[in-house]
Amino acid sequence: MALEPTCLVLMALRQERCADVQVLLNAQQSDGSWGSFASDDEASGLTGLALLTLNTLGVVPRAATQAANWLLETKGREANWPWRWKFRTTDTRVNLDPDKFGWPWEAGTCSWVVPTAFALLALKHSFPSCRNGKIAHRIERGVEMLQDRACPQGGWNAGNGVVYGTPMAPHIDATAIALLALRGRPKNRLIHRSLRWLEHQAGLCRAAWSLAWSILALDAYELPVVTLQQRLATVVEPHETCDTATLAAVALALDCKVAGNSFKVAE
Amino acid sequence: MIRIAAHAGSLGFAARAANSLPFLLPRYDQDRRPARSRVAILPATEYSGMLSDVLSEGLKLFDLNVAGKSVLLKPNLVDYIPGAAINTHLLLIVAAAECFRRFGAKQVIVAEGPGHQRDTRLVLRATGLEQHLNEQRIPFVDLNRDDVAKVPLRADYSRLKHLWLPRTVLEADFIVSMPKVKTHHWSGVTLSMKNMFGVVPGVKYGWPKNLLHWRGIQQSIVDLVATVPIHFIIADAIVCMEGNGPLAGTARRLDRIVLSDDPVAADATCARLMGLAPERIPHISATATFMGNSSRDLIDYLAEAPHVPDRRFDLVPGFHYLYAD
Repeated sequence: MALEPTCLVLMALRQERCADVQVLLNAQQSDGSWGSFASDDEASGLTGLALLTLNTLGVVPRAATQAANWLLETKGREANWPWRWKFRTTDTRVNLDPDKFGWPWEAGTCSWVVPTAFALLALKHSFPSCRNGKIAHRIERGVEMLQDRACPQGGWNAGNGVVYGTPMAPHIDATAIALLALRGRPKNRLIHRSLRWLEHQAGLCRAAWSLAWSILALDAYELPVVTLQQRLATVVEPHETCDTATLAAVALALDCKVAGNSFKVAE
Repeated sequence: MIRIAAHAGSLGFAARAANSLPFLLPRYDQDRRPARSRVAILPATEYSGMLSDVLSEGLKLFDLNVAGKSVLLKPNLVDYIPGAAINTHLLLIVAAAECFRRFGAKQVIVAEGPGHQRDTRLVLRATGLEQHLNEQRIPFVDLNRDDVAKVPLRADYSRLKHLWLPRTVLEADFIVSMPKVKTHHWSGVTLSMKNMFGVVPGVKYGWPKNLLHWRGIQQSIVDLVATVPIHFIIADAIVCMEGNGPLAGTARRLDRIVLSDDPVAADATCARLMGLAPERIPHISATATFMGNSSRDLIDYLAEAPHVPDRRFDLVPGFHYLYAD
């Protein structure tokens, strides 16, 4: 069992009887996290995606609570004071504010855009109201982290917006996922620029994974996606059906207008 | 200005010290250095259909035996940035595949796991490599999403102990590292050994593979190449990158392809072609103690000898200590 494809498939099949969440529950670790695959006993940065999947399928509050607690306790290593000092003083090669932290891919490493975005989506979905104390704090810090790590022209890549003073290029899927996490926030310049960049890039993109995530993000912001959906149906190559995660993302994107967009989470 | 220069100099000294200290004590399982290593520096001024012939003649110098073997070509496919010389050129990759097939390989696969760009298929498609591979019926494997197995490391500089590695890599008989010769803003250079970061799967370690940075890039490179054998190197040094590599630097021509059966010798040679001192690059100097040969005295140059460039490659501040005197 690989975590990301399993979560995406379960979300794509959520209205089907065969969407059995047990495979996900069986893989949850005692601390509430999930490993990246069945034999991985370390916590994955996609635990947020797993929690969002559980919430979307509307089951098992205990497992969801454990996962949410794990997310609230986990943070990027740059948030710890010696590293905060280092990134403020001797290591400024990457433009980042260590006070604005999110979630890492792996324990003991820095915050990055995709795990932070999925963690935010999961926490917002888990706690739609009455967010106080630690919940509100972590969501705010995570939102700030995404805003801090954006590329100067708009959009996001893995999480290095500027390195050695040079702006780095955004990536389509990271931008889409970050925008999904920020939906509901006031539409500031960053979000406007990022949406414009994403719309433009989606119009040119011929890669199914990135195009699928663009559709999910643009749809969540109520921007037109019908033309993109039509093109997505034509760019999926036969060999891509071997890539389960891509297939599931494509299904979610093609179906988002009819079955609903699972990544359109209220603020 | 003096304060800035002193600060930069201090940073360079600190960087050098920080990079060297972990390698003071040997932490490898076995000294596997060959008595002598072989490198061929081939002139090549353009990416064209002629590369197959150039490469074929170069490979013949090594008497490689790949008959009946599964060959894995590991190029450097980082991202797609129009006009930027960041990836191993697709014509060199295709030429290599053709050559190994002609030499009797049972199977030739191209495989990569980009460290920043999660959509490997996008890079493949946008660079045009996918079309060429499809036309030649050369399979591609996304190492970021392959099945994986837990492998104990054969050196212990990073203290990682083990890495999850893709089955496609573990099952290959003959692994060819095909780097793009570039400077690198975290490791100084990215050559055949740093290129192997691309076999570390994103499905486990994320994008980027940040754990390798936290455990020490130099140390992680050494542990990785001590564990995953590089049987041959075909380095794309026709159009290289200098400055703020591996993505935001500027193109720099060397008009060469560098072949070798020893990654340490290959990287030492490439470093010299860049105007750098290989003994100052920690992962080259460390692997030269147990894996291969970096000294010119222990390398047989089968074609050209390495020349000192008219102008050494630009490096980001903090790595100027890598320049050869």
